[in-house]
Amino acid sequence: MSQWLEQVIERAEKVSDHLSAKRGEALSLLRQQRWPNRRVEAWKYTSLTPIEQLTLVEGATNQKIADIPAIPGVNSLDLVFCGGRLVTDLSGLSLPKGLNILPLSQAQQQTLSLFASIKPKQHLFGLVNDVLAIDGLLLDIEAGADITQPIRIVYLSQKDSESHNRLLVRVGEGAKVCVIEHALGAQSSLATEFAEYKIEKNAQLEHYRLNLRSGKALDVGGNHFFLDEKAQLNSSLVAFGSDLSRLDVDIVHGGEHANAKFNAIYLLGTGETFDLHSCVEHAVAHGTTEENARGIIGDRAKAVFNGRIHIHRHAQKTLAELNNRNLLLSRRGQVNTKPELEIYADDVKCAHGATVAEIEEKALYYLRSRGISRSQALVMLNYGFIQELIDELPNQALADWLAPMLRSRFEQMEVK
Amino acid sequence: MLKISNLHASVEEKNILKGLDLEIRPGEVHAIMGPNGAGKSTLGYVLSGREGYEVTEGSVEMQGQNLLDLETEERARAGLFLAFQYPVEIPGVSNMEFMKESVNAIREARGEEALSAADFLKKAKEACKQVNLPLDFLKRGVNEGFSGGEKKRNEIMQMILLEPKLCILDESDSGLDIDALQVVAKGVNSQRSPDRSFIVVTHYQRLLDFIEPDFVHILADGKIVKSGDASLAKEVEKTGYAWLGAKGEEKEA
Repeated sequence: MSQWLEQVIERAEKVSDHLSAKRGEALSLLRQQRWPNRRVEAWKYTSLTPIEQLTLVEGATNQKIADIPAIPGVNSLDLVFCGGRLVTDLSGLSLPKGLNILPLSQAQQQTLSLFASIKPKQHLFGLVNDVLAIDGLLLDIEAGADITQPIRIVYLSQKDSESHNRLLVRVGEGAKVCVIEHALGAQSSLATEFAEYKIEKNAQLEHYRLNLRSGKALDVGGNHFFLDEKAQLNSSLVAFGSDLSRLDVDIVHGGEHANAKFNAIYLLGTGETFDLHSCVEHAVAHGTTEENARGIIGDRAKAVFNGRIHIHRHAQKTLAELNNRNLLLSRRGQVNTKPELEIYADDVKCAHGATVAEIEEKALYYLRSRGISRSQALVMLNYGFIQELIDELPNQALADWLAPMLRSRFEQMEVK
Repeated sequence: MLKISNLHASVEEKNILKGLDLEIRPGEVHAIMGPNGAGKSTLGYVLSGREGYEVTEGSVEMQGQNLLDLETEERARAGLFLAFQYPVEIPGVSNMEFMKESVNAIREARGEEALSAADFLKKAKEACKQVNLPLDFLKRGVNEGFSGGEKKRNEIMQMILLEPKLCILDESDSGLDIDALQVVAKGVNSQRSPDRSFIVVTHYQRLLDFIEPDFVHILADGKIVKSGDASLAKEVEKTGYAWLGAKGEEKEA
């Protein structure tokens, strides 16, 4: 066991609140955990060394909060965490009808029943989050509510500190909501942010995870979705890499005729790491899943994509597609991609594939032959590689806000 | 406009151009004909500065400037335009975005202001019309899913938008039916002017019925072996390239 994990357990033993029963379960699992090395499949390609070397403290609340970048045109309801603490005054918010927001600390039956009910137990850092996430939020969207204002959860890292936050979301029957999880920071820090979403019958969730941490900001998190009958999930991930960035996504089709769409874009600058593990469980019949992940990997950067679709024996008439495409900008970049289909039903339609490519010399030459500089041509080709997924972002204002940010990232990613 | 002297160039250490001389004055149209493997396409690539095409000897001057010192994009900004024989498909990058970047890069190099989105669109629409390309081609990925003829017309459309000084058309006629050929030729002819020159590379005389050259050169085994006026093209059409000897029959590199 690593020293860091020992400290986590020590700290967890002192935590006592209304979630203690749930936390206790996680704690006993953590005690049995072995610190993963490269022989553990889930961590085969991603080294935990940056965490092993950590000597961080839990976030302090008294630090000045950095400016929170607004997303123009999105007009989101912002809920801000800084260094692990919720810094938004919930009592000062005017909430749309049908939306209830409660802090995790507030005892609530719903919190208890949601907490750790959707997130699978095998995620090591999910367990860490279980025991250390003191602050967090429950968003409860009442049945039938149509919340038109997007809700944005902003996670700001603080220098030299750890933060552990939990988000619980219930989208009630027939309700509609958009949730944006927006994480940023580049300073030396560690964050675990896990979110559990229960999408009830006929409900619709539009979801974004913007993992825009980079540099020394270590980020290990998860998004876990449960879809009831005819529920609809449209989730988009935009991720940068950092010294260590990992996201586990789980989608469970728990009710028939549910529809899940998950698009992921990861853009790794020089020397960065990003690891995306996704697992879609088709437990029942007539479910649809469409997953598309595209990554661009810079010089000496390392990407991992492990996408699994598991179709259970009774999940007949499932339609599932899983695709991963990667563009390597340098021979020193690395991508490990593994799309997996595991099918136990006999009447399903499934497809999966993965590709790894390089910038096409011919395309670069063509653009340059029209007067476009090499740098600009590379930005265009990179952008072109993910354009399709950008076009599919349901929120146009958010896409417009992302575009220049991605372009400047591509400029930084250029391999000279 | 352009002065090529004793140009030698190689690809993957294979000598393709072996002492090519050519001088083009403003407003002239020069046709370059020749058998497969003579080095016709190589000439276009070398002039535009494609990586892997190494000049081993000789010089190329364009408007008094040493062309070989410049990067590919700098040559384009200096007024060189190559219409490709096989334009590449670039999914995800729209024709519109591509051309706007390109036009503005070239305008900037000339000290002109960048075009506004509206002004650019207006110009692009006109250029599309000139080569019979529907407007939705602007929104599509660069050459993505275009037919052979559409790709060629897209090249000419780009040429019209970029207003180059020297245009090299690399087999812009290949794979075209007679109607498409006329559209391409019409587009080219509309751009002829006293200060713009053309190199029309073609395998067949057919294109030259529509784009009338001032000079015709026969390129064989990396050199110009014969030059003449438009009648030379007709002569070649009758006799073929057999008179050049076996050497000219090598396959395209």
